[in-house]
Amino acid sequence: MVRRLGPLEVAAVATIALLALAALAPGVLAPGDPLAIDPLSSFESPSFAHPFGTDESGRDIYTRVVHGTGASLLIGLAATAIGIGLALAFGLLAGFGPRWLDFGTTRVIEVLFAFPGLLFALLFIVVYGPGVVTSTIAVGLSTAPGYARIIRSQVIRVRTSPYLEAATVLGRGRTARIVRHVLPNVAGALFVLATLGIGQSIVWASSLSYLGLGAVPPAAEWGAMLSAGRTYIASFWWMTFFPGLFIVLSAAATTLLGRSLQQNVRAS
Amino acid sequence: MAGSLTLDPSQLARAGGQRGRQSRWLRWLLLRLGGVVFVLWAVASVTFFALRLIPGDPAEAILGGPGSQASEEALAQARAHYGLDQPLATQYLVYLGRLAIGDLGSSYALRQSVVSVIGDTLGPTLVLAVLSLAAAVLIALTLAVWSTRGGRGAAALGSTLEIVAAAVPHFWLAISLILVFSTTLGWLPPVSVPGVAGLVLPVLTLAVPLAGFLGQVMREALLDAMESPFVLAARARGEGEGGLFWRHALRHAAIPAVGLVGWAFGSLISGAVVVETIFARQGLGRSLLSAVQSRDVPLVIGVVLVVALGYMLVTTLTDLADRLIDPRLNRRAQQA
Amino acid sequence: MTRTRTLPLLIAASSAIVLLSGCAAAAPQNTEPVKGGTLVYATGDAEPSCLDPHVGGNFPQAIISTQYLESLVSKNVDGEVIAWLATEWTVADDGLSWDFTLRDDVTFTDGTPFTADAVAANVAHLKDPATASSTGYLALDKVASVESVDEHTARFNLTEPDSALLDSLSQPWLAIESPAALQRPQEVNCESPVGTGPFVVTGWNRQQSVTLERNDDYVSPPADAAHEGVAYLDAIEWRFLPDSASRYAALRAGTVDVIDSVQPDTIIAAEDDDAIEHIDAPRPGASNRIELNSSVAPFDDIAVREAFIRSANVDDAVSSLLFGTADRSYSALSSIEKAGVSEPDLFDYDQKEAARLLDEAGWTEKDDDGYRVKNGKRLEVDFPVSTNQSIPAEVSLFEQLQSTTKEAGFKVNLEPLDLSSWYGVLGENDYNLVSAPYTKVGPDVLRILFHSDSTIPAPSGYFANHAQVKDPALDAVLDRASEITDEDERQELYAEAQKTILDGYFILPLYDQQNHYLLRSDVEGLRTMPTVATPTLFDTWLDR
Repeated sequence: MVRRLGPLEVAAVATIALLALAALAPGVLAPGDPLAIDPLSSFESPSFAHPFGTDESGRDIYTRVVHGTGASLLIGLAATAIGIGLALAFGLLAGFGPRWLDFGTTRVIEVLFAFPGLLFALLFIVVYGPGVVTSTIAVGLSTAPGYARIIRSQVIRVRTSPYLEAATVLGRGRTARIVRHVLPNVAGALFVLATLGIGQSIVWASSLSYLGLGAVPPAAEWGAMLSAGRTYIASFWWMTFFPGLFIVLSAAATTLLGRSLQQNVRAS
Repeated sequence: MAGSLTLDPSQLARAGGQRGRQSRWLRWLLLRLGGVVFVLWAVASVTFFALRLIPGDPAEAILGGPGSQASEEALAQARAHYGLDQPLATQYLVYLGRLAIGDLGSSYALRQSVVSVIGDTLGPTLVLAVLSLAAAVLIALTLAVWSTRGGRGAAALGSTLEIVAAAVPHFWLAISLILVFSTTLGWLPPVSVPGVAGLVLPVLTLAVPLAGFLGQVMREALLDAMESPFVLAARARGEGEGGLFWRHALRHAAIPAVGLVGWAFGSLISGAVVVETIFARQGLGRSLLSAVQSRDVPLVIGVVLVVALGYMLVTTLTDLADRLIDPRLNRRAQQA
Repeated sequence: MTRTRTLPLLIAASSAIVLLSGCAAAAPQNTEPVKGGTLVYATGDAEPSCLDPHVGGNFPQAIISTQYLESLVSKNVDGEVIAWLATEWTVADDGLSWDFTLRDDVTFTDGTPFTADAVAANVAHLKDPATASSTGYLALDKVASVESVDEHTARFNLTEPDSALLDSLSQPWLAIESPAALQRPQEVNCESPVGTGPFVVTGWNRQQSVTLERNDDYVSPPADAAHEGVAYLDAIEWRFLPDSASRYAALRAGTVDVIDSVQPDTIIAAEDDDAIEHIDAPRPGASNRIELNSSVAPFDDIAVREAFIRSANVDDAVSSLLFGTADRSYSALSSIEKAGVSEPDLFDYDQKEAARLLDEAGWTEKDDDGYRVKNGKRLEVDFPVSTNQSIPAEVSLFEQLQSTTKEAGFKVNLEPLDLSSWYGVLGENDYNLVSAPYTKVGPDVLRILFHSDSTIPAPSGYFANHAQVKDPALDAVLDRASEITDEDERQELYAEAQKTILDGYFILPLYDQQNHYLLRSDVEGLRTMPTVATPTLFDTWLDR
């Protein structure tokens, strides 16, 4: 049973649709070249010609924000995928494996948990050096233990549920049981988690970019744009405002969607 | 992070066991302690070996980075001084041995013992974190109460505010706050100064996103609590709505919030890295960032260990609090 | 243009206000220096790991140690060497020994007398591998030993004549510290170095600030100081504020009095603010430039180097990013170096010429993306950029050059790297373009940057000759210039060397190493040392 969508959810879905369009076909929304420089019209404030203004090299910020959507969302998606993929492996091992394996994996998760927040990401970056790939992996890795713990508890719940016990009685194989019964049941929760996680991954990845440990110029990626604009903040606010706004918008929209999905799951 | 944000039954259930019997309590405590020691050892080892994977000679980091033009003699001297000329296994054992007696070695870049660097920076970060947590709880509670009691419009607005607050990156908020309150209005200092005034903007920066998360969780818990059997029962007994809300529901809203304190700790430490840098505050987060940038291995390990220890302390305490506040948890946990 | 305009304008503006407000002014301006007060200096440079500039030796150490340490000699604004802790000096005919007559009335702030033995102990400290000095160590390369002829005469014995010795000794990295203090463990000396300067280090709150208090027994200002006796300020709070936006906000709010590492847009924004003044003090030594690695393809071909330089539109980039706060440089040396030679004609922006040169050099084909191709290889150049060293505007500048050189068919790969990785790729010779600042007093910097000896890496992999110029004729000129003391002949030799470097298209000069300070207009008497442009607060007083 699906609740009717409220105005907030509609706004969230519309935002996500727009972002998806920007990511898949940026040329439709912004036909210009995001890398085209024009030093003579640098630092122009928002105007009709440049709705979001121009940056230090005279590049159109609106075009850059639109063209940067793909890369920025990809970082969020990839980091979340890494986190959830790893967590799925851990969670299934822990929830479905023999007792000793559960014990071992739970300890590993616990150890990973002891690197709260950005800590693991920073450590990962010390070892492998800064960059967009490392920072994505780093964010993914630091979210993994949180997901793993939830997945494990979901798996245990499903495993001990009556219908799975029935499947065991019917003599279905282990793999078959996981594929047929556990995964679909966990998938719903996972989808919710993923929608909630993408926004946060984008925020964390942009924080790493801001600290100078993330994406590479002149790529039109939101975090990189913010990091380039940070020194000009006192004079040219639009350089950081608009990429920041899009980070907040995309994170808020995906979170809203995730929460409304979560409520539907709970209601059903 | 976000993953652990959603209401997580197992997180609340971890405290599993039975109440009442002292021996059980003792066992729980001992297991917990053992767990802490194990995790600390694992964290220390992971960090130690991970940082050995860094390309380049640690002796160079000691002598001011690879651009230092240090002579071969100086490098050799530094290697000998820090025991880097020993086999890896020996270094590891020596390191663990020192760790056991609380010796974290000395920082390559700061030429100070790691313990004294952490001693200097831990206090300011704790002050920042505790104040931010308190502010976040206050903001979240206010929002949650207002939006659950204020009708449909308030609910929608409150929920939007919470979600947007949770989506705001720390650095963006910090810079916006500086622009508004320091540069434009001139009310507050843009950088950390001694006293209360210097704390306002850093604390707000850390508290607002956290309040967004806490608010979402608390509001849901409040709504759940208002529909729960015991509130229905109380309502049947004829208690007024206001009394019900303040006496029962609010107490139950605190439970998930307590469960999130561990997670909040991690979020605050991560946020501190950004906030301490922007507001030029002394602190653990800033030490960590500069240690990461200069590849100051002993300091990175030291900070990571302290944060891990702090995190485990917090989670143990919150588990304990869970068991004390809400006995139902134990029963629920056993069923799971 | 704007550079020279800023200060007079502000002065004009503030005096206009004084005139207008007349007797209504609340606090009449003092013309005589006022004693007392604490000045808050906020630096955007990194917090030093050691306050003793002998250890390592970088710019953050130089700016702070200028307040509490002093050198044997200094320089005046005309670039002449002037007396400081040494009053006179003579060089032997063979150029192999220098005698310095020292001031006899100076004591270190720990009570130790300043003598020839102290000078000898400092040189020994700099040359001791345990000190891990790099800048000072390199500058003393030709100094074999120092002996005391008498209590106040120190003799430097050299292995080879060194015409740059006085320039080297004027640098803050070779400042003289108390020999008794140097005996302490390095950790201690790093925290509280002891010198003869106008201020004394009294506290260091890590990541926060260093506290400096006035030295009440101070007697030894350099010959060009504005006053005698002790400093006017009671104390200095030396704060570390890494974020440039919050640094400027703090200055405007009056939380701090002076800031450094000021970004171009901030300088322009501050022009509108009467409460803030601007000091522009370019650093000596090399200009900021992009070096073209001539040891590997494609820049082993001079035509390709010239094509790159011709296709780089530096002028537009500089004016859009630096707002006229810096002038374009066409020289290997900073504009404050008298020996500097400019060759503007070599660096004209000319895409046609670039295309012609590339055609001639065999890069005739173009691929689908518009990049030049030769023998199936794309005209691709790697440009590692150190995120720790370059100012943000510089990174943007490189992006603009990436875009204009693309028109000629160059694919420039900008790679932002942290300092460690950056030195890593330089050490592995895995780069085609690089920009590395180098500060040293005097034209001898040319020998460090372009002599073939400087292509041989130190044990750490570091080398200074990033353009990898290996030209025996140039080596000979630079060697000769570093040995002779005849000033005219020396200048000629350095001019010849610069011509070789510029004509060979080994470097693309951009502008002087930028060094801007903003201060509140009630801070009076702040000046930068003519040596390495560090600020000195000895003559500074607060008009409030």
